Amino acid sequence: MIELLDVHKTFNQGKPNEYVALRGITLAIASCQATVLKGPSGSGKTTLLSILGGMARPSAGRIILSGREITSLPERFLTDIRRRTFGFIFQQFNLIRGISVLENVMLPAYPCGESHSLLRGRALALLELFGLAGRAATRVEWLSGGEMQRVAIARALINDPAVIVADEPTAHLDTKLSGEFLEFMARLKGEGKTIIMASHDPLVCEAGVVERVVEMRDGRVVAGGGAP
Amino acid sequence: MGGVEKQRCIIDFTLSSLLRRKGKNGALLVVYTLVVFLLASVMLFTQAIRKEAAAVLADAPELVVQRIVAGRHDLIPLDYMGKIGAIRGVRAVSGRLWGYYYDPLFGANYTLVVPEEQAGGLGEIAVGQGVARSSMASEGNIMPFHTHDGRLVSLTVARVLPASTELVSSDLILLTAEDFRMLFGVPAGVATDLVVAVANPAEVPTIAAKIARLLPDTRPIARSEILRTYDAAFSWRSGILLAILAGALLAFLIFAWDKATGLSAEERREIGILKAVGWETGDVLAMKFWEGSVISLSAFLAGVVLAYLHVFVAAAPLFEPVLKGWSVLYPRFRLTPSLDFAQLAVLFFLVVVPYAVATIVPAWRAATVDPDAVMRG
Repeated sequence: MIELLDVHKTFNQGKPNEYVALRGITLAIASCQATVLKGPSGSGKTTLLSILGGMARPSAGRIILSGREITSLPERFLTDIRRRTFGFIFQQFNLIRGISVLENVMLPAYPCGESHSLLRGRALALLELFGLAGRAATRVEWLSGGEMQRVAIARALINDPAVIVADEPTAHLDTKLSGEFLEFMARLKGEGKTIIMASHDPLVCEAGVVERVVEMRDGRVVAGGGAP
Repeated sequence: MGGVEKQRCIIDFTLSSLLRRKGKNGALLVVYTLVVFLLASVMLFTQAIRKEAAAVLADAPELVVQRIVAGRHDLIPLDYMGKIGAIRGVRAVSGRLWGYYYDPLFGANYTLVVPEEQAGGLGEIAVGQGVARSSMASEGNIMPFHTHDGRLVSLTVARVLPASTELVSSDLILLTAEDFRMLFGVPAGVATDLVVAVANPAEVPTIAAKIARLLPDTRPIARSEILRTYDAAFSWRSGILLAILAGALLAFLIFAWDKATGLSAEERREIGILKAVGWETGDVLAMKFWEGSVISLSAFLAGVVLAYLHVFVAAAPLFEPVLKGWSVLYPRFRLTPSLDFAQLAVLFFLVVVPYAVATIVPAWRAATVDPDAVMRG
């Protein structure tokens, strides 16, 4: 369970280009469910997603993860929690060019200090699961869009996180690949993972896998907020 | 154990990361290696040649006495030997004959010396490697000389001196006292200078002072002073070379600083991704530290090994004309390998450490931004 209590986020505070992205969000997200943050561009979805996932700190308010407040934890602890709890899938996949598919998948686990051979085995098993075993040594820039998407999902899963966070996951995918992505999410939810996605794509918001849609506008929750 | 595995993983990623930018990192490595190679070559060469000179001069006389007339070196009467030999602590005194000869045919200056032990018979000479090379003379050949009164005499090359002593014997011609006096018109009863053997080396300065008092028209020169002069000469030469190299060094520093401190947009993006997927600022810095270390350490090792080969195997063809040799004839010989670890350590701290630090600073600036920049970027 992730709880947000009166969360505010202001960028460039006190400067002429000050921008308020979130205005007092209070939200609870249940475990093992798929939640979508829906809203137009600039509504604060991505900011809320990064605060939920521990990537950014709120300007005010509190975040409680499984009963533990993580708002003011030092970077080291927060990073550790983020690494072990959240797996991120970015809008443009954000894979590192020039290195292999396998290395890209292993990257989030490097700071964990796990044995290299064990980690490699785990990454290869994930690639196998996503039908990419034969592409392990291929450089990521030589992959198709669908393959890149699956590498990004495999990378998000390498540390076996409880929560998958995806920002506009279907923005660069055609209908077929979007459908494929949602199938993967359904499979992960079936395995007990919590899915949180930010999207304004109707294909995502109306997908069968999604249990809850939280609508946002101008940094506020306008529908579907409160308790799950 | 986890820490070691973590660093192993980070190094693994650093190496594949470096291989991605083969062109940029390869160019940097080449230039870096070249600079270390030049600096280490000068350092190894100067050090080895100093040692070589000191080793050869170890056999030089402890004290030489010259006669000075109007501030200039003049021939010294052999009867001074008796006065010097009477000083307590002096073991032996002998006269030396030596001088310079300009050979207009080959445009070379030779040093002519009469050795203490008879080198050969009348009319015979022994020549250094440089003389043999420049005059194309070998054993059994005849070398013509102009005497002081304009006559032409021929002396036979009986022997060519071994290459191992070339640093001091390159331009040397050894001949008999009779031939020397005939060639230069030096009368009997005088010598070029006197060589004094002292029983206790610690007494050399005292005996030198006594000689200067007893014979005010002479100048005693101790071996330690000659060594000091050699030392100063080689330090001066290496200094000149380093001054010439300073321009190259400065250009490299600017280049390396630019490469090390400037992060490309691509590199910034990557740091953002690493932070977003769960790397801490410290992990990113460790990666950059390894990156700087891999480049600078490789360049350091390659540069030092190349310099070693250049100086001790190839006999330093790049610096030969500047660092060793006399006015006209350059000695050709192989230096005895020697490594001064203190000097290598100084070179290491001058080239490796600053680079490793320079790579960390910009990465630190990029790595301290919030990872959500990637989400929004």
